[in-house]
Amino acid sequence: MGAIDDLVAELARLPGIGHKTAQRLTFHLLQQPRERAERLAATLGAVATRVHPCPECGTFTEDARCTVCDDPRRDATLLCVVEEASAVPVVERATGFRGRYLVLGGRLSPLEGVGPEQLRMALLRRRVASGEVREVILATNPSLEGEATATYIHQLLDGTGVKVTRLARGLPVGGDLEYIDGVTLSHALDARQEVP
Amino acid sequence: MRAERIVARGFRNLRDLDLELPPSGAVFLGPNGHGKTNLLELLYYPVLYRSLRGARDVDVTCHGEAGFELALTLRAERTPRELAAGFRCAGKRKRLTQDGVEPERLSDAIGHWLAVAFLPTDLHLVQGPASERRQYLDRVLSLADRAYLRALSAYRRALAQRNSALRQRRPDLAGAWNPMLARFGAELVRRRMGWIADHAESFTATCVALGELAEVTLRYRGDGALADEAAWPEAFARAANRDEALGATGTGPHRDDVDIRLGGRPLREVGSTGQHRTAAVALRLCERETLAAASGTEPALLLDDVFAELDAGRQERLAAALQQGAAHQTFITAPREDELPVDFHLETLQVENGRVGDARHPQAV
Repeated sequence: MGAIDDLVAELARLPGIGHKTAQRLTFHLLQQPRERAERLAATLGAVATRVHPCPECGTFTEDARCTVCDDPRRDATLLCVVEEASAVPVVERATGFRGRYLVLGGRLSPLEGVGPEQLRMALLRRRVASGEVREVILATNPSLEGEATATYIHQLLDGTGVKVTRLARGLPVGGDLEYIDGVTLSHALDARQEVP
Repeated sequence: MRAERIVARGFRNLRDLDLELPPSGAVFLGPNGHGKTNLLELLYYPVLYRSLRGARDVDVTCHGEAGFELALTLRAERTPRELAAGFRCAGKRKRLTQDGVEPERLSDAIGHWLAVAFLPTDLHLVQGPASERRQYLDRVLSLADRAYLRALSAYRRALAQRNSALRQRRPDLAGAWNPMLARFGAELVRRRMGWIADHAESFTATCVALGELAEVTLRYRGDGALADEAAWPEAFARAANRDEALGATGTGPHRDDVDIRLGGRPLREVGSTGQHRTAAVALRLCERETLAAASGTEPALLLDDVFAELDAGRQERLAAALQQGAAHQTFITAPREDELPVDFHLETLQVENGRVGDARHPQAV
């Protein structure tokens, strides 16, 4: 295989990119000034060599520890557990959460061969065993697999004395009731609250 | 509920079909193997976007074609009006649209076109294994109620995950799926038992109307306690050793059955083939009653060669039962006109080699 075929094959491995899109990207890059392709290659190289998971939470960082774990003002008693590193900046931007994170690196799915060993469950246990954490907030996705992962962690932490909470499910703020899907609406109805 | 037109390409032997559907329905006449049942299968496809005969989409595709396409046009006042489906064998991709818009999930796509099919293979409903009757309940309840369909898909996925964990000898991991199975499983048991309670009486009455002399009864067979989510943890605990040994989940609605009895004894053991057929037809009539009540309109009836084996008296009674209810569309297949009961007054369409025309002027080739 030539260099062009190699690049197409590599790009086609990325999520959401099929063979045709990979081809289009490849030829687009070839038509650009050479420096652009070189800059992209250098950036990819830098990411591959410099970025690694934070040893304390699993989010990506270039430093010894990520900025959240390194920040002494963050509340170490609150630990927010998410499936993927991409969820961390979302929670950071959108909420005033001042605790710390733990990135599992996926969710349990025996059908796909993903068990607790494939996720950062051991790290989670160590963090809880250190005695610093008082509350574990389960922010796994509200999918079947995300729920099962939350259940598994809940059972795993049983007897450790930490409080385990789960993100609430319900109506999106600013949403229109008639466009909300039935599952969300039925959760919202089950978890309705008394008007204060 | 009425459809005006059906268009299909590459569906079974219907290579290129564009058919105006008469408002009351039609009789499809023609020799065996020319495509009459395929037409019913096509008309049923937009009900569940699956083959009526349980065939895979690849097998529904006409031999040598890259895929199939179909579009059903409903009567003008309905929205969505056009239900379309396309399937490509390469990549096994299926695309559904409703008035040109792709629905977000399958549960949003179904329920716009309802039909009940009466097939020669319906005998399996009575004579076959429990899975046939579960499938029947699941289909009827899914079509009548989207919440049921959602619970069913979630339950099936959670069950597959749990069984996979059990096969990997990971009971700790399997347990993570228990709350999900309990939540959705309890909903399935509750709704199935509710449906049987609502329809048992009318099932028995329908069997009588169809000419059955002994009493035929319908009952749910399964652990009724599981209708309550709170009963599941104990049930899982009781079955833990067996589940681990078998590598599969032995508790839940995926093991339940519908118990059909004749004079107090299991129908499939004591009844004649005629009595089995009567009960199967009565189940289909219950399906129609359920869909009509849920949607507020009569589903279309698709009758595949159902009169063939019946004596004149039973033919008449079945024809009368089928024609009860509000106006609806009925499509019937028969090899010969003399195999139809006399009181169906429907337009006759001739089916030959996957082409459809009226009896006197078959569609030009």
